[in-house]
Amino acid sequence: MDNIDNNIILSVKNVGKSFPGVKALDNVSIECRRGSVHGVVGENGAGKSTLMKILSGVYTKDSGTVMFDGETIEHTTPIQSIKKGLSIIYQEFNLVNTLTVGENIYLGRFSEMKGMRNIHKKARELLDSIGSTINTHRMVGDLSAAEKQMVEITKALSFDSKLIIMDEPSSSLTSDELKQLFVIIGDLREKGVTIIYISHKLDEIFELCDIVTIMRDGRVIDTKPTTDLDRSEMIAKMVGREIENEFPPRPHCVGETIMEVKKIRTRKLNDISFTLKKGEILGFVGLVGAGRTEIIRAIYGADKTKELEILINGKPVNIKKPIQAMRESIGLVPEDRKLEGLVLPFSVQSNIAMASLKGISKFGFVNASKEKEIADRQIKNLSVKTPSPHTKVVTLSGGNQQKCIMGRWLEINPDILILDEPTRGIDVGTKYEIYLLIKEIAEKGGSVIMISSELPEVLSMSNRVLTICEGRITGEFNPEKDSAHDIMDAAIG
Amino acid sequence: MNVNVMTLRQQTIRVLSKQKAVIAIAIMLFVMLFPNTNFYTPLNIMNIFRAASPDLIIAFGVTLAVICRGCDLSVGSVMALSGIIAIQLINGGMNIGLAILLATLSGSVVGFINGFLIVHQKTEAFIITLGMGMLVKGVALLLTSANPVPAKNMSFMMISNGSLLGIPNIMLFMLLLGAFTYWLLRYTSFGRNLYALGGDYEVAEHSGINVIRAKWVAFTITGTYAAIAGVLLASRLNTGSPIYGDAIPLLVNCGVVIGGTSFSGGVGGVVQSFIGIMVMQLLVTCMGALEVDRFIRMLVLGIVIVIIICMDCYSIKRKKEDV
Amino acid sequence: MTDQLRLKSFNLGKFVIEYLVFIAIVLLVIITAIVEPRFLSAENFTNLMRQFGPLSFVALGMTFIIVGGFIDLSVPGMISLVAIISLSLVDTIGEIPAILVGLALGAAMGCLNGTILIISGASTQAKALFITFGMSQVYGALALIHTDGTSMNRNLLEHEMPLTRVLGSGMLGPLSVSFVVFLFFLTVLYIFQTRTFLGRSINYTGGNIVAAELSGIPTKRIMILIYAICGFMAAVSAVVLFSRVSVTTPTVGMNYERDAIMAVVVGGTSLLGGRGNVLRTVLGVSLVVLMSNCMNLMGVQSHLQEVVRGAILVIAIWLDHRRQ
Repeated sequence: MDNIDNNIILSVKNVGKSFPGVKALDNVSIECRRGSVHGVVGENGAGKSTLMKILSGVYTKDSGTVMFDGETIEHTTPIQSIKKGLSIIYQEFNLVNTLTVGENIYLGRFSEMKGMRNIHKKARELLDSIGSTINTHRMVGDLSAAEKQMVEITKALSFDSKLIIMDEPSSSLTSDELKQLFVIIGDLREKGVTIIYISHKLDEIFELCDIVTIMRDGRVIDTKPTTDLDRSEMIAKMVGREIENEFPPRPHCVGETIMEVKKIRTRKLNDISFTLKKGEILGFVGLVGAGRTEIIRAIYGADKTKELEILINGKPVNIKKPIQAMRESIGLVPEDRKLEGLVLPFSVQSNIAMASLKGISKFGFVNASKEKEIADRQIKNLSVKTPSPHTKVVTLSGGNQQKCIMGRWLEINPDILILDEPTRGIDVGTKYEIYLLIKEIAEKGGSVIMISSELPEVLSMSNRVLTICEGRITGEFNPEKDSAHDIMDAAIG
Repeated sequence: MNVNVMTLRQQTIRVLSKQKAVIAIAIMLFVMLFPNTNFYTPLNIMNIFRAASPDLIIAFGVTLAVICRGCDLSVGSVMALSGIIAIQLINGGMNIGLAILLATLSGSVVGFINGFLIVHQKTEAFIITLGMGMLVKGVALLLTSANPVPAKNMSFMMISNGSLLGIPNIMLFMLLLGAFTYWLLRYTSFGRNLYALGGDYEVAEHSGINVIRAKWVAFTITGTYAAIAGVLLASRLNTGSPIYGDAIPLLVNCGVVIGGTSFSGGVGGVVQSFIGIMVMQLLVTCMGALEVDRFIRMLVLGIVIVIIICMDCYSIKRKKEDV
Repeated sequence: MTDQLRLKSFNLGKFVIEYLVFIAIVLLVIITAIVEPRFLSAENFTNLMRQFGPLSFVALGMTFIIVGGFIDLSVPGMISLVAIISLSLVDTIGEIPAILVGLALGAAMGCLNGTILIISGASTQAKALFITFGMSQVYGALALIHTDGTSMNRNLLEHEMPLTRVLGSGMLGPLSVSFVVFLFFLTVLYIFQTRTFLGRSINYTGGNIVAAELSGIPTKRIMILIYAICGFMAAVSAVVLFSRVSVTTPTVGMNYERDAIMAVVVGGTSLLGGRGNVLRTVLGVSLVVLMSNCMNLMGVQSHLQEVVRGAILVIAIWLDHRRQ
């Protein structure tokens, strides 16, 4: 290995990673120069997080090599990679809220530090070195997001990190706090620390980064100095994929308005209002955490709201609980299949019939033969691959599990069906089947709200698209006319 | 560098502001000013502390379990058992020190088994310690045939009933163990790791803390403390009885929670538990001084406990539902 | 994939754990019959049916709580209070009304438990455990206050209690009356649990309360319902209890929560919720009753029996977690 360039701190070569049914990373290669700020951009699901998790040792790669600071890294755990000098600051902070700032910085190293007093002293020195005045005795839970980020950065510095990866560091910062973060990043760069800066916000990338890597579909599309790129070109590279026969032709059966959302207000959402028409597929586009799921949970009565005004067929309705939403003929296929959708230890039949039980009960007694009919019908309809209706749903593949939940709602046949990430973690074949189902619902006159992190999916399926950013609706688009580029632009905000 | 120095006063205010329990104590002390009782005599106050000592010792141990998001409902039975073992061994002619050591170890063993089942086998702490409590109580009943065992050795009695500089020994033991636990939780890496894993198990694990060992040790200590309390109580009453600890698990776990050590883990400490237990003890003493019927006392205590736990649950619920 | 493979290959360990309670019952019967021939006598059979008594009713109620994913430690308090209140009302309002009041009181206490849990947002088993533990204290104290700590003697009441006498010692052919009552409740509750919408909803709630709520199952109503059932069944067992003995103490319900949980878990209903039914509980109760019967026949000291029971409870909880 004599061709090591001393200026390259991190070199990723031909790294691949697959999850069941999904190829998350495909032949990814990136080189980071010492002391640079390296931006990584891409849509949700482009593979950025997977790559970072491989670097930090949370996942192991299937193929390829990773060289860090002149050393090949094979198997590593998060703590080992931090000790080697590679730290990651996640979007969800990795801090214990009930401990003090100083303790969080030296978490897991208390015995090496010889006494709590010493810990606070050292932490103070480090915080001073990046110009932060946070009291090391304060509880992390009481800190603002910006302060927590300082603590994370300080924690990374306490390990003498040579490379710090920041995953969406700006998502919870105000603009003043962001400026401060930029100053700190500038200081770190001068000290020779390399930063990998992951963000959706292109302005930040242009302001901060020396070089940027654009990822899409688990592949690196391009790596260029930021000065050689402009915003429009970057967006084009982020979204520009050839849409083949991945999707069925979209249905066109939009009719009268069925639901009018006048106002939703919660801590996170601000004055959301939109309409949904009969036979329409309405897509929600936005980044993870923009408030997409919160909107539909509010409509469905799953979360509490400060204000909620909805008209269905022109009549105001009062929805406080999911059961009331169901009475208004709304159905929800939730985001997290395993936690919110399925009763894992139960059979396929029980899971499919779950929402219909009340309907097939007479005098409180469930009609067992009808229950079996429902399960058989939906299993056949959706071609769920299961040995029998009595197989436990936990043993099925993700795609078939999702079909069970879809079947649960198709049986009730609600006027409005809300699908939150209906194809997450599902193999390509099953995805197509689910698209066909969605199409069929719309053709039969049902209305669908579809949330997805995969832009092409929303764009190819929907009749209309709303972009959501930071708890607001920022735009309304017609995916057949408007370009993916503009839509992405509105969603990034 | 004055930003960094959190004065003792600031820290005290911080602890007090979170202490609804302190207010409760203040109210009770205020109420006791009125009726014509000899509540405010040094002797009586000493008695209150002395009566609370075994509960306090157990509470210090339970604090460790609650901090790492567990709880221990076997402490009552462990306390009863260790007292019985100590007295029976001494009555059988064993050296007092050795007997006390063995009795204490019995608690460590139960705590160790609890830890094994909870940490290693991943059972739910509350249900498995409930079961262990019943098992241990069975052993206590078996050893005594359900009868109280009087101690024949006077020097054993003096362990708790003697005094040093006018302070009863049992109180001294309580203060010593309290100070030790305080140090353990605040200044040792073991203690801080415990807070870390109670606050966020995954972050702690990823930070390279040996979470399994820390939690296991915590439960063992909890058992040991309960056994120490048992020996001291047996010495004070000069009797061991299998029914001593029946109300303890509920009282102590609730006392710890009143003090501010929440079931959601990662917060609390010795001082908080001390205050929490004193609320319970004062409540009992006040009702005693006011000559409240003993069954009504039980009722009030039960209601207070339910309200306290409900409040703990409610605040967690409110935090989650914040819109 | 691995799950399917595992299903195909016969796994002895899994088989043993799954059918442990059957195996244990069969072994127990064989061993006891060999060691102690009296075990198979008609007299002992009657005895066994009687021992089934109060515990079996509480265990049926507890099954619903545990299947729903919760736990109820307030059983001792509820039993004591119902027994005392019913007995003390007999002279003023007559036997049957008194018993009815007792049953209603049990259901009402259950509803109260459920309501408190919902209001305080105690959605986990651990929180439910502490709150019901406290409620038990409250109910128990009320029973003690009512009698001022003294016991109640049924024979000293002015009113005759024919129904109670029949329930306590009557026979219906080869079966004791209380056993027939048990079979009645078992049938009703089994049908309720497996055939009705509400009964099925309990399973869904215990299996995944979030998913159940999102699929339109009224989980809050279910919580109140299961606690009401448990309270009612505790009241039934209180009536059976005082029908057996002439003297009823205000702490008569002690330890029933432990034995009921033990019977339910030993029967194979999971503490994690969602899985199990009342028939399994019958197996669990049978094992508990058979065990104490054969320990009695073999002359095992009663306190050693306590230890054995505690050990079985711990092992049952442990195995329950291992099974998942």
